[in-house]
Amino acid sequence: MSDTIDIETSDGEPIDGHPVDGDGKVVEEQPAAAVAVRAQQLSKRYGSLLAVNQLDLVVPRGSIFGLIGPNGAGKSTTFAMMATLLRPTSGRITVMGADPSQKPRTVRRRMGYMPDNLGVYDNLRVDEYIEFFAASYGISRTEWPSLIDGLLELVDLSVKRSSMVNSLSRGMKQRLSLARALVHDPELLILDEPASGLDPRARVELRELLKTLNTMGKTIVISSHILAELEEMCTDIAIMEAGKLLAAGTPREILSRLGGARTVRVRFATGATEAFTVNDDAEQAALLRRLLVDEERDVVEFVEESGGLEQLFMSITEGVVQ
Amino acid sequence: MMNPVLGRELRERMRTGRAFVVIGVFLSLLILTVYLVYQGTKSTGEIQTDLARQTRLGRDLYEWVLFVMLALVLFFVPGLTAGAIAGERERQTLLPLQVTLLRPRSIFIGKVLAAMSFLVLLLVAAVPVMMVAYLLGGIRVLDGVKGIGIIFVVAVLLTIMVAALSSLARRVQTATLVAYGFTALIILLGPLLYFTMRVADGSKGADLENPPAVLLTFNPIAIVADATAGENSNESGNPLRWSRGELVNAKSYNNDSWFAWFPDDDFGARFRILNGNDDGFPAWILGTAILSAVAGTLSLFAIRRLRTPAETER
Repeated sequence: MSDTIDIETSDGEPIDGHPVDGDGKVVEEQPAAAVAVRAQQLSKRYGSLLAVNQLDLVVPRGSIFGLIGPNGAGKSTTFAMMATLLRPTSGRITVMGADPSQKPRTVRRRMGYMPDNLGVYDNLRVDEYIEFFAASYGISRTEWPSLIDGLLELVDLSVKRSSMVNSLSRGMKQRLSLARALVHDPELLILDEPASGLDPRARVELRELLKTLNTMGKTIVISSHILAELEEMCTDIAIMEAGKLLAAGTPREILSRLGGARTVRVRFATGATEAFTVNDDAEQAALLRRLLVDEERDVVEFVEESGGLEQLFMSITEGVVQ
Repeated sequence: MMNPVLGRELRERMRTGRAFVVIGVFLSLLILTVYLVYQGTKSTGEIQTDLARQTRLGRDLYEWVLFVMLALVLFFVPGLTAGAIAGERERQTLLPLQVTLLRPRSIFIGKVLAAMSFLVLLLVAAVPVMMVAYLLGGIRVLDGVKGIGIIFVVAVLLTIMVAALSSLARRVQTATLVAYGFTALIILLGPLLYFTMRVADGSKGADLENPPAVLLTFNPIAIVADATAGENSNESGNPLRWSRGELVNAKSYNNDSWFAWFPDDDFGARFRILNGNDDGFPAWILGTAILSAVAGTLSLFAIRRLRTPAETER
């Protein structure tokens, strides 16, 4: 995806409304059909607080797009604007080609949203809960049984079909919420902190589920504090802080563009271990070639130390709190 | 297709024991009222021999049951409806609802209809209690229908107002406080204004300085009292009769008009009440119209509050 993702630094000013990269070059705009969400100079102000500050963002269709940032970075506000809940103060946003402020119902038909706070109707059964949202999306009653079967199977809650919602664990409720967001078969899923409060097993299950949904052709925009999880799952990421976009692209791409060095740990047949610092993929390949070919050393392990997204996040953000 | 919010609300409401507790308390208090009024009159020793007295007992019973029924409705409606929108917000279920294809008015109407359905259940459950008065005489079937009907109208208007106010609050507790405060305001505001102005005027003659009688009309007690007026119903003895008496007095101080300041012109004539005649403009219609206007305005405001995208998260 590296050729389709735009990158922008926090001080990147737009040229004629087009986003620019850190070097001041105009970023190539993607054709509308390839874009699920496009934000241009998007801002949201609450009184004196600028929650989102001139955000330029492109979410490619078919991607799993992770939006990362500390608390108060503006992620949930950005999601709320995507999800037709909040009107931007300035700038423009299109979701599946439509403006959420102008045509909210068009966007809602094609988008499923899961807010960061898990709210469910405790006094309903699992199947009744899905029925309610199917009715709210105007889905014909005759379609409900097959729809419920399919969704519950997808989120692995078939055995809980007749259970009361209040008897479900948090992980199960989270999956039920996901089923709810999928009830009208949207092309885009906006998931705000879906893994928060889940135990490790539930997290893994959720991650696998999201990957499955992605293979079904759904674009997923997700935020999370668990960076390792996003790193494993996301094809693209954007890092926000204090309402501003700091970087966007694939994690490797961002590392390369920001000139971030990485550590490669090499273990030799003798049992000795050495660490090397490389700046990019080319340097990493050159190192391996040098060790194996030039120096003819017996390498048994060649591992890039995973600081990955976490390291990237720490190097980009400054811990600014609004 | 049935309003999805209505369907879900009914399902949830009837699934919890709270609904049955409310119906139980409601009926128990009505039955206790019948028992106390019957015992109170029976103790005079005249009930078995005096037909007129028995007829009067029927009327007394009817009016007391109506009054207690109204008081219970005024007590239960705010408690049961205050969480309509605030509850969704507090449970964090409003956002998922707002991103569906349901329109804000459908959400609001669903909430109001659910509360109204429960009211219908309450009032239907009260019919057998009301029938005791009918069996004693003094009231017709039509009186019973009128009584329950006007209480239903008042309850529906209050439900709409409380549900609309619920859209202002983020927590059910706050919404409940606002709902009870507003209900108290509806009951007390008119009479307080009217009697304060009357004390300030002091003359009590039929002059332009008198407070307008309309201030007494948009009160639930006055509406029920006026709509259920019948023979012997202007005497003292219960709050409905007292309310009717005050309405009659207020009108007489206003030259039989609802508005003291235009007693004689053509416009004023439309609002005149001619004591003793049936062709006047009844207080209950005026009161219901005023409450309907307030309920309508609040509803529009609530629907606007539910509309997204919004400027701020609601």
